[in-house]
Amino acid sequence: MRLTVLGNPGHRRVTLFAAAARAAGLPEPAVLPWLDVLRGRYRLPEGGLLRIESPGEEPEVDALLRGPALGPGYAPTRVEGTAVWYAGVMAALRGLAARPGVRLLGDPEEIAVMFDKRRAHALLAGAGVPVPRALGGEVTGWEHLRERLAEAGLHRVFVKPAHGSSASGVMALEFGPRGQVQATTSVELAGGRLHNSLRVRRYREEREVAAIVDGLAPDGLHVEQWVPKASQSGRSADLRVVVVAGRATHAVVRTSAQPMTNLHLGGARGSLDQVREAAGRAWPALLETAERAAACFPGSPMVGVDVLPTTGWRRALVGEVNAFGDLLPNLTGLPGGPAEGLDTYGAQLAALTTLLPSSPAATDHQITEPAR
Amino acid sequence: MAVSHHIERFHELPIHEFTPADARPRPAAGAVAWRLSVEYGSQQDFGQVWQSFLTEVDPAGVRAVVIGPWWRNEYTSVGPVIEAITAEARRLPALEALFLGEVTYDECEISWLEMDDVTPLLHAFPGLRSLAVRGGTDLALEPVRHDRLTSLRFESGGLPATVVRAVAGSELPALERLELWLGVDEYGGDAAMDDLAPFLDGSRLPKLRHLGLANSELQDEIAAAVAHAPVVARLESLDLSMGMLSDEGATALLEGQPLTHLLSLDLHHHYLSDAMMERLSAALPGVEVDLGEAEGDEAEDEFDRYVSVAE
Repeated sequence: MRLTVLGNPGHRRVTLFAAAARAAGLPEPAVLPWLDVLRGRYRLPEGGLLRIESPGEEPEVDALLRGPALGPGYAPTRVEGTAVWYAGVMAALRGLAARPGVRLLGDPEEIAVMFDKRRAHALLAGAGVPVPRALGGEVTGWEHLRERLAEAGLHRVFVKPAHGSSASGVMALEFGPRGQVQATTSVELAGGRLHNSLRVRRYREEREVAAIVDGLAPDGLHVEQWVPKASQSGRSADLRVVVVAGRATHAVVRTSAQPMTNLHLGGARGSLDQVREAAGRAWPALLETAERAAACFPGSPMVGVDVLPTTGWRRALVGEVNAFGDLLPNLTGLPGGPAEGLDTYGAQLAALTTLLPSSPAATDHQITEPAR
Repeated sequence: MAVSHHIERFHELPIHEFTPADARPRPAAGAVAWRLSVEYGSQQDFGQVWQSFLTEVDPAGVRAVVIGPWWRNEYTSVGPVIEAITAEARRLPALEALFLGEVTYDECEISWLEMDDVTPLLHAFPGLRSLAVRGGTDLALEPVRHDRLTSLRFESGGLPATVVRAVAGSELPALERLELWLGVDEYGGDAAMDDLAPFLDGSRLPKLRHLGLANSELQDEIAAAVAHAPVVARLESLDLSMGMLSDEGATALLEGQPLTHLLSLDLHHHYLSDAMMERLSAALPGVEVDLGEAEGDEAEDEFDRYVSVAE
């Protein structure tokens, strides 16, 4: 079995996957750079399988995708431009999928849904997966958002760029009982432009909140209810559950004193043992919820599901389903599960060799086992 | 800043979230502090959760109750919650501790909590040892006499002066711990130094061992007053944290009466210089001084300084 990774050469996602391949006794995967694919100048490796990795965190890729739309005001920290980023990535993936002979690991059309939070939410809700209530439909700007939230009776929501990732542009927005408004976000408003920062800020001036929402709206917004999360060690906690080939294989607890639990915004890994204890009989249901969300994406060999347990670990809602949600270095699989002892990449390779038992790699692997 | 951490223990008991009709095993009634909350968008209101609690848990054995969010969708007044609890006081003869409003920013901002008169709680539970209340908007208290209460805490982004005066005017002969988060004027924290004088002159609260006058815009003035306050000699611990304390207030503290008898002095979240922090540590050997969350002494004026919890 020959593997190629569509990714950014040298990035952790690519090198960690290559290390897992070596550990599994597979040949070193080839790398097809995203930059080449986006420029339309590339040659497909002969045969084999093509794994799709994230195009993110590569300055040249980002500049290529968002630079023209943002013009001279472009900076890698800018929050706007996610719609053209999405269009560019999807056009490239669809072009790749249309090439004769290509065998993709992962369905580009499912990636397209996962990278549109509105469509992903609708798909999950339609399948009966528990999700926070969403506003649905289009939101053109701050005034429109205010009106629609009032109509819907929602006064605590997350406003998210439909095509965003890593909490970029995400705003926790709340309206008080006496007309107050407050937004908590990592967006920094500077000269009418929005920049992503590592510091979570609070905005209480409606004028500023409006400017941020108006800046984000043209890229498309997904708006959903802000549901209070369960707590661990006093901090709000949620779970990232990696589902490989339909089974929940890995899970991490993320705790934070902020509405966003992302590690780069001050989140920390919590204790899975404590979650199991606190959730008690609800624990298997948390994993099952993640698996039900993953089942909405049958063409994706791996997804990372954000599971939001509610107060008291009573219920679990699905926040997001991430096509590239497996960057969890050094995390081994859940005890007793199918990936015990393997990292997220090893688990995917194991699933691949199980699914394709006739592949040469699987055979090679077997005959290299010591004879007894 | 905001209140971002849930308490994990109350009245020396672990918190246990009460879930109506929970299939999971329940702890003994007196082994935990029961947290009751209404889930966001729930079909059940607080009154229904409260009745489930009284039915499903033996109320006669309950020692501690923690009230989380009490509203379903729109924020509502805590008044009906206080009524529901006091109406059933007979059924809770062992209740020793009550926390009203254990709510973080993830559920509601502290200054958005719609509070009410909490005096009926003290009248209804003469056996209460500990009362904590979070939220200052529309909060009210009448002067009371309560013979058992050992710990009283008001957490707010703005504590009304009327509440401060009512505490000062109450007869609380057993009170050992008093903590007031005074907050800011903008959010209704309008207590002046005169309102705090009754806690400092030592004439009241004969059992007081811990005093917290915290989270204040007037932290320097409070520190200066504490420096000469007769009550300090009786204290084991003093909390002047979370406010706008600068070198001015800390200098007054150091130049006042000796503080070396204290077990602890909490000054976390402050605007002290490095030199002042060193002076404090050097001057108070054996005292556990919390100088965490140093906000720096670079502030040009008081407009660059903030209390820890306001909104």
